[in-house]
Amino acid sequence: MAHGGEHVLKVGNEGREVFWNAPYEGILFFFTAIALVIFAYGIYRRWQMWKAIGLPENRTDNAGERFKALIMNGLFQVKTFREAYPGIFHGLIFFGFLVLIFGAAIDATQFHIGLPFFHGGFYLWFSLIMEIFGLAVLIGIVMAIMRRYIFKPDFLGYKGVPDNRPDDAIVLVGIGAIIVTGFIIEALRLHVNINVDGFTWGDWSFVGYALSKTLAGVSYDTTRILHKITWWVHSFITLGLIAYLPFSRLLHIFTTPANYYMKNLEPTGTLKPIADFENAESFGAGQLEDFTWKQIFDSEACTRCGRCQDGCPAYISGKPLSPKKVIQDIKTYWLERAPSVLAAGKKTKEGEEAAIPEPDKAMVGEVIDLHELWACTNCMYCMEHCPALIEHVPKIVQMRQYKVLMEADFSPELQLTYRNMENNSNPWGIGAHMRGDWAKDLGIKTLAEDPDVEYLFYVGCSGSFDDRGKKVSVAFAKILKEAGVSFGILGEEEGCCGDSAMRGGNEYLYQTLAQMNIETMNGYGVKKVVCTCPHGYNALKKDYRHFGGNFEVFHHTEILADLIAKGKIKLTKPVEGLFTYHDSCFLGRYNDIYNQPRQVLGAVPGMRMVEMKSNRAKSFCCGAGGARMWMEEDIGERINDMRTDQAIDVKADTIAVGCPFCLTMMSDGIKDREKEENMKAFDIAEIVWQSMAVEKETDAGTPPE
Amino acid sequence: MNIVVCVKQVPDTEALIKVKADGSGIDEGGIKWVMNPYDEFGVEEALKLKEKNGGDVTIVSVGPARALETIRTALAMGAEKGIHINDPALEGADAYTTASALAAAIKEIPHDIVFCGMRAIDDDAGQVGSILAELLGIPQVTVVTKLEVADGKATAVKAIEGAQLVIETSLPCVITAAKGLNEPRYASLPGIMKAKKKPVDVKDAAALGISVAAKAKIVKMMPPPERAPGKIVGGEEAAEKAAQLVKLLREEAKVI
Ligand code: SF4
Ligand code: SF4
Repeated sequence: MAHGGEHVLKVGNEGREVFWNAPYEGILFFFTAIALVIFAYGIYRRWQMWKAIGLPENRTDNAGERFKALIMNGLFQVKTFREAYPGIFHGLIFFGFLVLIFGAAIDATQFHIGLPFFHGGFYLWFSLIMEIFGLAVLIGIVMAIMRRYIFKPDFLGYKGVPDNRPDDAIVLVGIGAIIVTGFIIEALRLHVNINVDGFTWGDWSFVGYALSKTLAGVSYDTTRILHKITWWVHSFITLGLIAYLPFSRLLHIFTTPANYYMKNLEPTGTLKPIADFENAESFGAGQLEDFTWKQIFDSEACTRCGRCQDGCPAYISGKPLSPKKVIQDIKTYWLERAPSVLAAGKKTKEGEEAAIPEPDKAMVGEVIDLHELWACTNCMYCMEHCPALIEHVPKIVQMRQYKVLMEADFSPELQLTYRNMENNSNPWGIGAHMRGDWAKDLGIKTLAEDPDVEYLFYVGCSGSFDDRGKKVSVAFAKILKEAGVSFGILGEEEGCCGDSAMRGGNEYLYQTLAQMNIETMNGYGVKKVVCTCPHGYNALKKDYRHFGGNFEVFHHTEILADLIAKGKIKLTKPVEGLFTYHDSCFLGRYNDIYNQPRQVLGAVPGMRMVEMKSNRAKSFCCGAGGARMWMEEDIGERINDMRTDQAIDVKADTIAVGCPFCLTMMSDGIKDREKEENMKAFDIAEIVWQSMAVEKETDAGTPPE
Repeated sequence: MNIVVCVKQVPDTEALIKVKADGSGIDEGGIKWVMNPYDEFGVEEALKLKEKNGGDVTIVSVGPARALETIRTALAMGAEKGIHINDPALEGADAYTTASALAAAIKEIPHDIVFCGMRAIDDDAGQVGSILAELLGIPQVTVVTKLEVADGKATAVKAIEGAQLVIETSLPCVITAAKGLNEPRYASLPGIMKAKKKPVDVKDAAALGISVAAKAKIVKMMPPPERAPGKIVGGEEAAEKAAQLVKLLREEAKVI
């Protein structure tokens, strides 16, 4: 096939020649080979590094489900589209490139093998599609550049300081340049065609055509030279980016989909229990080596998109914690450490003596600051919204485990809490014998008195000991009685669920507590459990199964919604006011319970509802999860106050909650904001009881006025 | 530096205390037993001194089988070994007998400092530390809130009404620990696991060669009288409530 020459007509709707005017195929292949070698080396090197550090973990079982995650998030970009602006520009670039690469493949096939249909109408349509998607990529890139360099949202940086690296610019400009030079090449090609008789196909390549009009008056020869130059520039940038890919943020093209495939298939928020306390030598993660390879690989999938940070209550309230920073700090540390570990491993393989170098700093304390570590409320916002399916929370908990179990170095308030839980099985340290006192005059039987009931009402510590929480227990128990539900409590035999111990890193205490509860419950043959506290609910439902506790666990809002739907309870008495529902993290993001509480509230006559700015999956934590309930909050603003402000902003007069921790936090927030006169916080059970027109001797729940 | 800490196992402060029907003691059913908090300050101080100066920390406790748990708690915090004086004859022993048991055990081992809690929160007697010092024939400083040990001397700070005493004493000595001396540490998990394997010598009165004849005995234990429930003064207006209150104070409480 002759290249170049004067046969311009061949580049029209007859199809085009790939190497029109650029007859140095050999040179191009040479550079392509170099680029591919660099690319391959980069990937190989990275692969070695991925394997260098970390404990084993199986993330390739259950291929079907994994493949589904890959397709949904990789091909259909489901998580990425959750945020409009970045979703759109990423979609434009992603789908644009997908089509362009496909197109390039057709182009190449046509060149080498020849495609019989690659001319005429097909070619015109092909041109149009390539044109559209090329433009899409360009728009995407412009949007991305504008966001990063003009809008500068805080989530792309940290605490107001942008985190724009040369790599970001290289990639954005590089991709943009590929597209722009592509269009210029096209324009130049069209320019020589414009004067050809019967030229009608310009509009099929509308961008290039528009561009070609600016070339009016440029001579044929000049056009050829320009074309040649641009063509090579285009090719070199493309090859350059391919070679650069493994060393750049573009690596996420591979690592992020890999992370989709290797996603955690366990229920949201479950933490892998420590298996053997007696024989393990270390607990939790004090060093990179204590993480699994997958936990380290996570940081390779992170694109610094900042979505996790953008909704992190700790970050927003001014704590040093940013989930993005945690992941990136782990990555930076890994990048420092992996090469030397790798080198040592290689030497040992070659028969030389080479000890793996000791870490030169403490991961927990130096790489990850302790204030960051302890600021996390385990609210799950980061994991829920991370488009790369990165798992921040387990890493944080494991690092806490190291501090608590190995070093016993943690805040005195939390030490006291744990002692209280050890001695009296509740965080306040109130005498364990008083656990069932709230139910004394209500005629509620314990399972010891009558084990033959449908539900165990697991009351939890707040519901048993906290004055406010007790009112919720009373209200809920009265509703159950009224509805004729068969239930009992454990009374004195109940113990703390251990959630705060687990999330605060005291896995040993947690397991001790869990095992005691499980033993008691299994002893009574408990099958169904209902909890008013989402922390107990989540622990009993998802974590107790690791220790032989297999129960069907319900949250009281689920039961209430069901009782209302079935007509077992009638809400007749109007409860006036503007209500807003605060999604508890352990109900919403952890357990997908968003609708039931709203359904229950919706069934209350007279009630008007309004949503806060952050709701449902984007709900803003109350600040009490992850054992934060028991710790001082002395950095930045108080999370509960910030949440209360959201309720104040929508002029709600009642904050409805489904969690005793949230109830405390919201009540405190209302106090802090001096709104006690016109604002209140209630558990949904209290509101329901209030709305049930039952003859009430003494009122159980403090009724909304 | 060899340090000895005497610890006592006591009911948790929050435990529900029921006096036995015959008044001979408390009903131990359902009670959560813990280390006497003042003794914990002693353990912590001993561990700190050990970490600074080297040496061993030995825990000594008089009590029934369950007291071993408390010894293990101290071992988990970091002490090296334990001596468990377990003899049914010592059950409910008075301060003097307890102190002589402790003294007999401590005499046999090297001791530069002996720590006791200033008192045990169960019987609140506050005598054992002092009697122990006498029996060992060494100086004592009681109710100590700050301690420094250097050059064979201990300098202890003791808070008294409106002032602080700084007391210097030679070693060996007995120090009784008060709140404020330190913040007892939380045992690490490896510490807890190791504690299970640390040596604990069990001794009885015969082995120690002590007399178990009590010098004082509890005649009778009685629960405090039940508190009458409080009363909320009713009435709509403040004036009405006040009138009610006056009436109640005069007629029922008879205080005005
Ligand atoms: S779980 Fe919540 S508080 Fe913790 S890092 Fe993630 S977003 Fe922040
Ligand atoms: S961890 Fe996930 S959400 Fe956070 S910056 Fe990285 S990719 Fe984005």
